[in-house]
Amino acid sequence: MDPLATQHAVEAGSKYQDLAWMVLASPLICGAGSWFLARRIRGLTAGFNIAGVVISFILGLILLGISGDHPLAATAFHWLPIPGADFTLGLQVDRLSALMTLVVTTVATLVMIYSTAYMHDDASFSRFFCTLSLFVFSMLGIVLADNLVMIFIFWELVGVSSYLLIGFWHERPAAGDAAKKAFLTNRIGDFGFLLGILIIWGATGTVNISELSAKFGANPGLLGSMAGVAGLLVFMGAMGKSAQFPLHVWLPDAMEGPTPVSALIHAATMVAAGVYMLCRVFFIYTAQPGWPVPLEFLGNLGAGSIIGCIGGFTALLAALIAVQQNDIKRILAYSTLSQLGYMVMAVGLGAQIGTPASGMYHLVTHAFFKAMLFLGAGSVIHACHHEQDIWKMGGLRTKMPQTFWTFLIGTAALAGLPPFSGFYSKDEVLVTALQVNPILFVVAVLVAILTTFYMCRLVLVAFFGEARSDSASHAHESPGSMTFPLLVLAVPSVAIAWIPLGEFISGAFGGHGHGHGHAAVAAGEKHAVGLMPLIDNLSNGINEALFGPFNHNALAATMGLFAVLLGSSLAWTLYGKATSDPLPGILGGWARLLKGRFYFDEIYSGVIIPLHDCAAAVTDWADRWLVSGLGIRGLHGSVELVGRALRLVQSGNLQTYTFLFAAGLAVVAWFTLR
Amino acid sequence: MSLTSTLLMTPFLTALLVLLVPGNYRFVVRCLALLGSLVTAILGVVLFLKFDPTGAPYQFEGLSTWVSSSVFRLNYHVGVDGIAAAMLLVTSLVGFAAVAVSWDIDKQTKLFLILLLVMIGGALGAFASLDLFFFYFFNELALVPTFIMIGVWGVGEDRTYAAYKITMYLTAGAMVALIGLIALYTLSGANTLDIVELQKHLAKTPLSSSAQAFIFPCLLFGFGTLVGLFPFHSWAPQGYGCAPSATAMMHAGILKKAGLFALLRVALPMMPEGVARWMPVLAILCVGNLLYCGFVAMRQRDLNLLIGNSSLAHMGFAFLGIASVTVVGLTGAVLVMVSHALLAALSFALSAWIRHQTGTLEIAKMGGLLKRMPFIGSVLTLCFLAGCGVPGFANFAGELAVMFGAWKGLPWIVVVAAWGGLVIGGVYMLRALRTILHGNAGVMLPSLIDAPTAWRKFPFVLLAGGLLLFGIFPNALTRRILPAVTRVAELARPAAVPAATAAPVTAAAVVTPATPASN
Repeated sequence: MDPLATQHAVEAGSKYQDLAWMVLASPLICGAGSWFLARRIRGLTAGFNIAGVVISFILGLILLGISGDHPLAATAFHWLPIPGADFTLGLQVDRLSALMTLVVTTVATLVMIYSTAYMHDDASFSRFFCTLSLFVFSMLGIVLADNLVMIFIFWELVGVSSYLLIGFWHERPAAGDAAKKAFLTNRIGDFGFLLGILIIWGATGTVNISELSAKFGANPGLLGSMAGVAGLLVFMGAMGKSAQFPLHVWLPDAMEGPTPVSALIHAATMVAAGVYMLCRVFFIYTAQPGWPVPLEFLGNLGAGSIIGCIGGFTALLAALIAVQQNDIKRILAYSTLSQLGYMVMAVGLGAQIGTPASGMYHLVTHAFFKAMLFLGAGSVIHACHHEQDIWKMGGLRTKMPQTFWTFLIGTAALAGLPPFSGFYSKDEVLVTALQVNPILFVVAVLVAILTTFYMCRLVLVAFFGEARSDSASHAHESPGSMTFPLLVLAVPSVAIAWIPLGEFISGAFGGHGHGHGHAAVAAGEKHAVGLMPLIDNLSNGINEALFGPFNHNALAATMGLFAVLLGSSLAWTLYGKATSDPLPGILGGWARLLKGRFYFDEIYSGVIIPLHDCAAAVTDWADRWLVSGLGIRGLHGSVELVGRALRLVQSGNLQTYTFLFAAGLAVVAWFTLR
Repeated sequence: MSLTSTLLMTPFLTALLVLLVPGNYRFVVRCLALLGSLVTAILGVVLFLKFDPTGAPYQFEGLSTWVSSSVFRLNYHVGVDGIAAAMLLVTSLVGFAAVAVSWDIDKQTKLFLILLLVMIGGALGAFASLDLFFFYFFNELALVPTFIMIGVWGVGEDRTYAAYKITMYLTAGAMVALIGLIALYTLSGANTLDIVELQKHLAKTPLSSSAQAFIFPCLLFGFGTLVGLFPFHSWAPQGYGCAPSATAMMHAGILKKAGLFALLRVALPMMPEGVARWMPVLAILCVGNLLYCGFVAMRQRDLNLLIGNSSLAHMGFAFLGIASVTVVGLTGAVLVMVSHALLAALSFALSAWIRHQTGTLEIAKMGGLLKRMPFIGSVLTLCFLAGCGVPGFANFAGELAVMFGAWKGLPWIVVVAAWGGLVIGGVYMLRALRTILHGNAGVMLPSLIDAPTAWRKFPFVLLAGGLLLFGIFPNALTRRILPAVTRVAELARPAAVPAATAAPVTAAAVVTPATPASN
């Protein structure tokens, strides 16, 4: 950061830092307020909590306008100041965090409005809303944090609120299991994340993001031989939260939580936190690669490339699994996994071209359309009396028109059909892959085909044809408070094509990108990409906006479009008129493998958990028999044995005493006279 | 009389008063004990708040000569530094909570409460003493009621064995420590047991290498046993498993910390050579606490044994902080001491409530308690989340500081600590939560009662609130303990602490603009 920007930051900071803190605090204050003041009145509880998030949204909008190109640092709170390791809480509002704040608060507001209807009859209505507010608070903490330790703190808090919300229906055993699994799987990732932070702190002496960024800018070889390890360890955190292979198993199970939770936490925001965090600490991955001695064979391979491969693999794996799932929420969950893999791949590969913008772009578009899809699924589930099997639905198209149309828009966006948002962001990801690693480009196209295929399968089976169960035939459209959020969320999925969001995000990483939204470029305002010019240029270059991808990189865009057409026509052929799934008949054993989710859960519960339990059993045995047994009981036993032996001597018999006395004398005499 | 003396005399005087009330006036006895412990708690809070981190090293001192002869001199000398102020605060709070949860004790109520008050007084005395004799005396005074209470009011078939085991272990540990202390007295040549004078004397004329080589391990293993240092730990879970709740709360929460406190006050600052030689050993042993006890905890089917083993695992963090001998690590160790005092007390109070309601401590026999007992269930969730190191609770601050403090010197041990704290701790805590709270309540548990009134909820709220308060504002603790910790670190590692990092931090919540250079 140049000195001028720093100065700006300080000036802006002194004026607006309270505003930034309010963005963070408002959900917490309103949530706590509703719990203590209005726990028993449903309308009021919902009102309080929604107000908290809306305030954050509005303030976030103001901050985005104010901060412009100059990051704004808010006052640090000295949380745990120890000389040598000063842990502070501070906020850094820049373009990236302001954008993410808006995404989080928008989705959260709509999900909360939706929940007023969806959770209306639940006995723990207020607990639900307060935990949601806690989640939003924690998530905004990650987004706005100015240092790694603070990210870690809120990272854990997000995990806790996710735990509480997955296990919200605590009387359901499956929910309890899923909550536990999610938390523990994330903990494994957090273990790596913490060690990564420690390595970075140990090498640089700071955890502050902008300081680190400056230090890495000045000296890319700062971490020396630990650069690769640190990068991968930090990525482990993302691997947990963003559910990347091999820590992906918790996310599908997390669907045991209420559907609004799945939409907010497990589709739009929390799972994206990993990708966001990678963008935040991107400087680690652009640093000079290095490995310690045992890993020297990796040579010049950066951590970013490995991350890219893991992301690509996750994307493919999850897309394959999604093809053979029948639970509407599980299909969406695997689709989320797959899209997260896309983002992680883009960020990882971005290390070689110096910007993670494409991954971040996909994160933003995905947040909106995936939240919409989940809320749509929730609307379907609500209408079908908690039926989640798509083969027991059907014909919902006419019964739930609003849900259907928004779901269709979401599907089009997710599949990547122009002019819906997903097309543009996916195109950027494809371009990144094509630039860096052609193999991953092929994988990405394959994933795009599969994505279209399983989404079309879902829509065709659930919404078209005849109703295949009673609950489906009696379904009717959900109330307005549930369809309103759907309609609002459809807007960004349609409209993102018309605003230069990609350009805006590239700007956040200091580059000017090549995004499709060329309005700003066309107007020759390369440097002014703040909010205002963004709106000014809205009307310019719509053609450019729509067809930009084809002009920019024809191969990637064409392949993206081709994937959509291929996937949807395949789905139409197989599922257009189907009343049961034809795929198992075609694929045979492969279908079982897909349906069984490649048996990762079974492998884990068959290998890793017994391994820990075995270690626990051995230590417990050692504790019981060696430490306490031989040690204590042995000591105790030997003392007692000696006591018993000596008791025999104390018989009270005078002859014995005389004999012993004489024997003793004899022994002493022998020793002395020898 | 100094504030410290008033504080530590209050429980003893209350015990005396209770002694005068006839035993069948149970209500009066209970009220009196509760009032006494409430006054103690208030005094503890006042002392903590009035402690001035920028002031003298030892404040609220009280000194009167007890024995004075040319060969032997004993002072009643009390006073607090930051570490002691923090420990006195949690001792008085936990003491109050322990008396409050003992409301249901019907068997020989009067004797139980007198013993409990003596225990509280003894613990306060141990932390307030600035004289080795009185430290030892008060510590033993607090330990004796433990054995009686486990034997008489304990639960479970093994309680006699547990009482013997805990007695043998703690006596042996205390004996070893006593040998060390006597050797320290005789070999120092200062002819005093006064800690302040000893420190001054030893700063000028350090103990010989051979003396340190003998005394330091005596103190380390003697006091270590009192804390449950691996492999001298197996008394703890079983003892707590059988102890009545108030005893377990006081012992696991407070008395255990006296050993750590003594290491910080006596062993580290007085014997730098011993530190250099023995801290690597301690670092290895604390792996035993962190990993081994964690694994053992994973296997437990009894709630109290689980909490007992997990508390040993938490002690591993305190030992690791001490073994790091850095300001950051030692501060973390003290934070762990303070937060674990609240956590252990809260855990045992909750398990006692659950046992009282369900009639069992076997985890597998419980289920769905969150539905039946929302308040207790929620507090148990908070408590166990705090136990597996979730931010927002004081334990996290301590563990984080320990890991950062130990990272540069002992990176591999920190890796183990992170795995033990984040993953293994998570596994056993969440497994227990899942089984105890989730699902549907079994039919065999017909009469579960949640904490019915605000007054019965109060002890739980107090302890959980303390955890939260110090988790969100750990600076309230650290700014008080830093001067003392910095002194310990300087004395324990004379060469390694540069003057710059040893400067005491004064401000509570210093508000400075967060320019990118603020760290």
